Amino acid sequence: MIGVIVGTHGKFSEELLRSTSMVFGELENVAGVTFEPGESVNGLVDKFKAALDTIDWSDGLIFLVDLFGGSPYNAASRIAANYENMDIVSGVNLPMIVDVMVNRSTEQLGDLADLAIRAGQDSMKSFRSIKNSQTEEEL
Amino acid sequence: MEISFVRIDDRLIHGQVATVWVKETKCNKIIAVSDEVAADTLRKTLLLQVSPPGIKAYVVTIDKAIEAYNNPKYADFKTLFLFTNPTDVLRVVEGGVPFKSVNVGGMCYKEGKTQITGAVSVDKQDVDAFRKLHEKGIELEIRKVASDPKVNLISKIQDL
Repeated sequence: MIGVIVGTHGKFSEELLRSTSMVFGELENVAGVTFEPGESVNGLVDKFKAALDTIDWSDGLIFLVDLFGGSPYNAASRIAANYENMDIVSGVNLPMIVDVMVNRSTEQLGDLADLAIRAGQDSMKSFRSIKNSQTEEEL
Repeated sequence: MEISFVRIDDRLIHGQVATVWVKETKCNKIIAVSDEVAADTLRKTLLLQVSPPGIKAYVVTIDKAIEAYNNPKYADFKTLFLFTNPTDVLRVVEGGVPFKSVNVGGMCYKEGKTQITGAVSVDKQDVDAFRKLHEKGIELEIRKVASDPKVNLISKIQDL
């Protein structure tokens, strides 16, 4: 099972994981890292490393972070750069995490990163535009 | 038609739960069965909207569900059946659809109902329907999400 670390500005990561467990159930092999105001990127690297110690990442590890190029992304990059079996996906949202939870036992790291991106993007929809294009099929 | 999974959840398809269950049960179609919802255009529209990509969803009446199950045209359907209550499940079973197990996911609390777990509340009509399903040898298990341990529903309604 691929390990997951969610890293975000503020407590968003912890709350995202709480919300994920509402949908998915109990989460294992997952950690949340928060980046608080006034913290340094070095400090954040240490927090990621501490989170890594709580996780079994023998099958790989994926960091899910909020902003591409933000401090959580940059700090995770410094760790992931040293290991082949780590990847980082930015733009984390609830559908993305749920999809990662569903698929991380059966997918390889590269495929899981692709799935995560697709799940995140596919979750963005407009009610109005779907409604206008919807056709109903009868059984 | 193959029966992949049967679930009672009064929210029917919602959030990512459908995605999680779809993956877990390896279905390729979702059929939500409810006379009430089939007649409600807005609820129907929403259900069809939120079905996961690649999975065709239908909202049908009880009669239509029984008819579709028996229609050889749908032989390649691996169906996740969704219901809002056990009385509807019983009607479909009595119509000849051979469910072996029913997952009870969510039946929200309303006045006059008894809460038997955090996510499941039942009234007299529900209890009667569950008992009849149990007498037919159908497994009744409570789980909100796939990774929860199965809770035997009958043991929770014994004293009701």
